[in-house]
Amino acid sequence: MKRSCGAGVLARLRGSAARSGRHCLSLRLERGLFAGGGARATRCLLIAFLFLPALAHAYAGPGAGFAVLSSFWAIFVAFLYSFYALMTWPFRQLFRFLRRRNAYGKATFERAVILGFDGMDPDLADRFMKEGRLPNLAKLRDRGTFSKLRTTFPAISPVAWSTFMTGVNPGKHNIYDFLACDRNSYLPYLSSAEIKGPKRHIRIGKYSIPFGKTQIKGMRKGTPFWHWLGNAGIFSSVIRVPVTFPPEKFQGVLLSGMCVPDLKGSQGTFCLCTTRASNDKFREGGVRVPIERTNGVGCSYVPGPDNPLVEKAGELRADFEIRPEPGSKSARIVFGSEKFTLKVGEYSEWIPAAFKAGIGFTAHGICRFYLKELSPEIEVYVTPVNIDPGHPDLPISHPVTYSIYLAKLFGPYATLGLAEDTWALNEHVLDDDAFLAQAYGNHEDRERMLFDALDKTRQGLCTCVFDTTDRVQHMFWRYLEEDHPAARDVPHSQHPQVIQDLYERMDRLIGRVMEKIDDDTLLLVISDHGFKSFARCMNLNAWLHQNGYLALKDGKTESGDWFEDVDWARTRAYTMGLNGLYLNLKGREKQGVVDPSEADALKSELQKKLNGLVDPALGKIGITGVFIADNVYRGPYTENSPDLIVGYGAGYRASWDSVMGKVTGQVFEDNIKAWSGDHCIDPRLVPGVLFSSHKFIEAKPAIVDVAPTILKLFGLALPAHFDGKAWTLAAKAR
Amino acid sequence: MSLFSIPKLLAGNAAAVAAFHFSLLTSPLAIVIVLSLVVGLLMVVLFGYTSDQKAIGIAKDQLKAHLLAVRLYRDQIPVVMGSYGKILRGTGRYLKLAFKPLLYVIIPITLLIVQIDRYLGAVPIPLNAPFLLTVHTPTSDAFNDVTLDLPPEISMTAPPVHVPAENEIVWRLAGSKEGKYEVKVAAGGQSAAKVVCVGGHLPRISTVRLRGHFWERMLSSAEPALPDNSPIESISINYPDRNIEIAGYAMNWIWLFFILSMVAGFIFKEALGIKI
Repeated sequence: MKRSCGAGVLARLRGSAARSGRHCLSLRLERGLFAGGGARATRCLLIAFLFLPALAHAYAGPGAGFAVLSSFWAIFVAFLYSFYALMTWPFRQLFRFLRRRNAYGKATFERAVILGFDGMDPDLADRFMKEGRLPNLAKLRDRGTFSKLRTTFPAISPVAWSTFMTGVNPGKHNIYDFLACDRNSYLPYLSSAEIKGPKRHIRIGKYSIPFGKTQIKGMRKGTPFWHWLGNAGIFSSVIRVPVTFPPEKFQGVLLSGMCVPDLKGSQGTFCLCTTRASNDKFREGGVRVPIERTNGVGCSYVPGPDNPLVEKAGELRADFEIRPEPGSKSARIVFGSEKFTLKVGEYSEWIPAAFKAGIGFTAHGICRFYLKELSPEIEVYVTPVNIDPGHPDLPISHPVTYSIYLAKLFGPYATLGLAEDTWALNEHVLDDDAFLAQAYGNHEDRERMLFDALDKTRQGLCTCVFDTTDRVQHMFWRYLEEDHPAARDVPHSQHPQVIQDLYERMDRLIGRVMEKIDDDTLLLVISDHGFKSFARCMNLNAWLHQNGYLALKDGKTESGDWFEDVDWARTRAYTMGLNGLYLNLKGREKQGVVDPSEADALKSELQKKLNGLVDPALGKIGITGVFIADNVYRGPYTENSPDLIVGYGAGYRASWDSVMGKVTGQVFEDNIKAWSGDHCIDPRLVPGVLFSSHKFIEAKPAIVDVAPTILKLFGLALPAHFDGKAWTLAAKAR
Repeated sequence: MSLFSIPKLLAGNAAAVAAFHFSLLTSPLAIVIVLSLVVGLLMVVLFGYTSDQKAIGIAKDQLKAHLLAVRLYRDQIPVVMGSYGKILRGTGRYLKLAFKPLLYVIIPITLLIVQIDRYLGAVPIPLNAPFLLTVHTPTSDAFNDVTLDLPPEISMTAPPVHVPAENEIVWRLAGSKEGKYEVKVAAGGQSAAKVVCVGGHLPRISTVRLRGHFWERMLSSAEPALPDNSPIESISINYPDRNIEIAGYAMNWIWLFFILSMVAGFIFKEALGIKI
């Protein structure tokens, strides 16, 4: 660029003086900023510079360059999009018109909004409506529909929500529990997704450098109904529906929900950093990390994923320093480049956590710190390290940019499938208030996402699942009863109204949603299952052992986790997970002993013996139904199902030990954990709930019917493989 | 060549190499590069201290979110149009937040650029090369009274040209020896001097001497003002522009400074974690 005139800077100043006009706008914008009295000098300076030719230097100087590059690029890109959109608009409009004419031409509603309140119980909802606590749900009941919603066998969230989205029974979608059983090792694996590292590695000395992408395989089969909608040109916004990880492509946006792992690859591993010496390990879900205190300053770390570059190098760590502030119950924490101050009993915001394995190998996560105690000991709870939604190392949304969009719009948010740390409350690492603060913090994020999706999805489907209802009922059911073993130390009169408050909060949410919709929008409020007390635990493995179906190695009277001391050669049946009972079948299990020809007889025998099993201590029925899988499931994936589904009675559930393949001496025992309510029982006892803004004529609606109903209301043909049937709308003027 | 002469030769070469390196380090290109790096760093640090980093971060994130919304909901025209509106509003919000710290950055940089331009904006008059000296008067009436008093190293190579339409008299001159000289212009019984730089590495150059025009003088003249009662408004010299060659492109130092300091700033902002 050669200068054409030789008058030095002056010429450039003159030449650009005309551009000073744009500063007038800036000045107006800036007035509010400089409103304070102390800003007078700055204001004078600003005015002086406004009238100087020198101001034009701003456009030659790098400072202004930053302003241009940092702000106007947005406009520039936006206008590039505009140009593209304008050029292709006629074609896309024509294409959309042709598609929409088919889709919306027969649609009964322009939009369907489905709010999933995981675990909302119809009996409690009815009771609270009668008490006048839920005016908005009562409105829906009066104007539209309020009914129980039959759930799946078993009544477990991943199973029920998979049925919700695919419109088929578990035999066709392959999800029977959170965990599935590896018949070769008798060990569990996550039923919804399989995550493996890259196949190829290059070895250089002790380093093993991975090449390629992490492989994530979705184990849930079947097609979510929003894919059918998308094929017909109907847009969907799907937020945090369980078992949508890994996200699949379709026409719409989706943020994955339950089953998204944390950065360690687990379903949530919290961390308690403490100066308190202890060798105790948490039963599940957490690790204890020491804080080394030197001269009053504590140093510790947050554990991250395993080092991908060096075998057996262990986990990566992100160090932090905690410095108590004298004279106050607060401490300064330095974590990476972040510095923040926390009071005792306070959460931090989401803090970015970077785990560096080497150059170019950094795992990005986010976590929150909660300062538990400063004196005499220092204790800090750190949430599981969630995948950073603004910088996702694994795909957690479709398209990938959707999670980034939400993070940019609202800030970082929890991405872990089970984001509310129930284990930390169970293990007394968090108290009730800290748990609720965490749960409702996540809930508020979810609400913001829902309302954004409502604004953006003027036509089509908008669905969002709230987990808060499930987690809070799990953890606080103990306060709903007079004599729950987990709350016996608190007089009933002092029990907090946590669940009542929860239902009222959800009702207010519905009220705000109802303000956003018109008569051309169908609003469904559904839950995947209801809730009951979990006061007594039953160790089914112990029962199988005592009744001769499960044998332990010689000399053993109990077994450790995952059948550690089980003698498989003499074992005919075992249980793992929440409701599944498995035969040790020859040819299927690695050490199977039950001949397939004897399987049916054994199933019937177990069914007969377990059905109606009484808890001798209380005289109550512990198991109200045992269901043979062949009679419940049909489809191509039934071979992966347990052989029997155990339906516990109200107040009972599989014990914590039994779930983890442990054999104890006692069959029944009190549940004294905060996790005091549950639904993994006889599905007939825990139906979900259905509210709708428009009346449906259906005597016994089921969750499997939702997918066909939505497709029908949008005027689409129902796929032949659907197990559910579409409900009939009472009347709607169109 | 004897063995004894080798050390002398090496010493001579070392001196030549050192001189070459020194000339590289003091070349306009090196000066601009160093200056750009320093200014880029200082600017980022200054911006970081004087701005509301959290608010800027949020404003930029919101802008990015609305951009992504345009992409995510591209088939929904109302959403796209709404997002455009939010992008414009978000840009306004960002500029509002960036304006105050930018002001703190712009003031010292403007002054710095003016000073640096005295050295890097133009090259001295080459030896024996003709150049023009222009005297600007309020009217053309006194043209015949204006005379030029030249030092011996400066010579006139052509008679003056009167340009009545511009109220200017132009002389064509040439310098025969490197140095700074004063050319005196007499008019209306008064005399005014103008410094002329002939040759040299990086002399401080003033292209014009002015009467009045305080801000113009501050920004473009490196000489004292002409007296208020002087019949001469300005005396200017058409120094050739200095162009810095880089990768085959010749450009004015300000462009190079602009680009390099921007690049440096963006690198430093990442390294220092400052949001701009």
